[in-house]
Amino acid sequence: MINFPISLTEELAEVVQRVQRSLVVVQDGRRGVGAGILWRRGSWIVTNQHVVARGRDVRVILPDGVELPARVAAKDADIDLALLHIDDNRTPAALIADGQSLRVGQYVMAVGHPWGERGLVTGGLISGFGQVQTRNGRGVIQILRTDARLAPGNSGGPLIDASGAVIGVNTMVIGGDSGVAVPSHVVSSFVDQAISRQDKYSGSSTQSRERFV
Amino acid sequence: MSQSNENPLVIFSDALADAVSKAGASVVLVDARRRHPASGIAIAADLVLTADHVVEREDEIRLLLPDGSEQTASLVGRDAGSDLAVLRLKNALLQAAEKAVYEARVGQLALALGRPTPDGIQASLGVVSAVGGPVRTGRGAMLERYLRTDTIPYPGFSGGPLVDAAGSVLGINTSGLWQGGSLTIPAALAWSISEALAQHGRIRRGYLGIRSQPVAIATAQRSTLGREQANGLLLVGVEEGSPAEKGGLLVGDILVGLGGAPVNDPDELAAHLVGDIVGQTTDLEMLRGGQPVTLKVIIGERK
Repeated sequence: MINFPISLTEELAEVVQRVQRSLVVVQDGRRGVGAGILWRRGSWIVTNQHVVARGRDVRVILPDGVELPARVAAKDADIDLALLHIDDNRTPAALIADGQSLRVGQYVMAVGHPWGERGLVTGGLISGFGQVQTRNGRGVIQILRTDARLAPGNSGGPLIDASGAVIGVNTMVIGGDSGVAVPSHVVSSFVDQAISRQDKYSGSSTQSRERFV
Repeated sequence: MSQSNENPLVIFSDALADAVSKAGASVVLVDARRRHPASGIAIAADLVLTADHVVEREDEIRLLLPDGSEQTASLVGRDAGSDLAVLRLKNALLQAAEKAVYEARVGQLALALGRPTPDGIQASLGVVSAVGGPVRTGRGAMLERYLRTDTIPYPGFSGGPLVDAAGSVLGINTSGLWQGGSLTIPAALAWSISEALAQHGRIRRGYLGIRSQPVAIATAQRSTLGREQANGLLLVGVEEGSPAEKGGLLVGDILVGLGGAPVNDPDELAAHLVGDIVGQTTDLEMLRGGQPVTLKVIIGERK
């Protein structure tokens, strides 16, 4: 009979390695670092809006160590999301979950750069679902809560499920004390709308666009 | 969403989520204090076990059931010492939780569950970090046994269950017994206290009327006792009119046993003086002038 804890451990390592191939470091000038995840087609990166709040001199460091300038293509402070674009496509996009079949109690891992340490992993559960007021108080959004430990530097990084698919983007700004993630379906619709706008206005400048939701 | 059912991590994850849904079907929101609802666990179709300290008002206790329906409940009994309370619903609508049939082990996986908001069940994963006891609680009672875990005690988790990986209840979580942390009352103990609360409305604690201090028993006297017992309780005061005085206990006696069980220190004595012993004529083993004496005392009740 197979040793279950050992095969579990091996699978954990594999799942983490897979998502780390799509994980980047995001820097906004000289401020601290946040995390970002290759969401689509290798050149669209999702991170938290608060990580790139200044929006000048945004740079990303790819998993292979290459540092590139990034353009802030869209941001939405209400749901604390930003979409970055890089002129590069060597980095594979992460596997994104549909976010519709999540259950409290399922195992999750957060990957990011807490306190600046690259690619750190913390584990836990989806500890609950909830709704929080957006920062301007104009509405509520669905969020995931996790008991995986998050620290500054996890912001913008992925929360993944047992199959390695991204189920949410971790954020430290909304939702109070516990670990909170914006679910993937909310992120995907933000990304879809942002990219379709980009296509529509293709050729337009690198101005950031506020509010796409 | 699972790509492959062979993936042990997916199997593990599914099993945890299954445990949460199974046990979560018995976890209710208990609204009996201002602003901060807590949790409770169904122990029968009409009975909910929760933490005593979250029941700040005895009227208008509202419950939110797992199916989303709101119910009112009445207080059946409460025990501040062990921080447990039992509530009753008018209608038998609950799905009773399954109690684990074994004692929790250090290192085993455990899930803390709660339902402090209408947003659904909440959970936190950890391991059983310690199994200990007896311990004197911050509320003056003796807890024979307790568990500690490294799960996160989210606000409103008091009164909710600690469950194992199969969803069976290992204990009841509360942050009211130990300053600065959460503690879990093992299921066997919590269930037996809840039975007493459902029956009598309170936990009966015995009263002797003595003041005492632990003293070493000389080796020579141990052989007179016929057992290896290191300590006893030297009586330094006997209250007037108390069960102890009526039974003939005197200052200077050393209490060494109660109902056949050894008494080494005040905590051990307190642990023996709980429940059905109250009102019973009980043998007290003493050393008087170095000689063993047995006195019969009717155990009183501490008010």
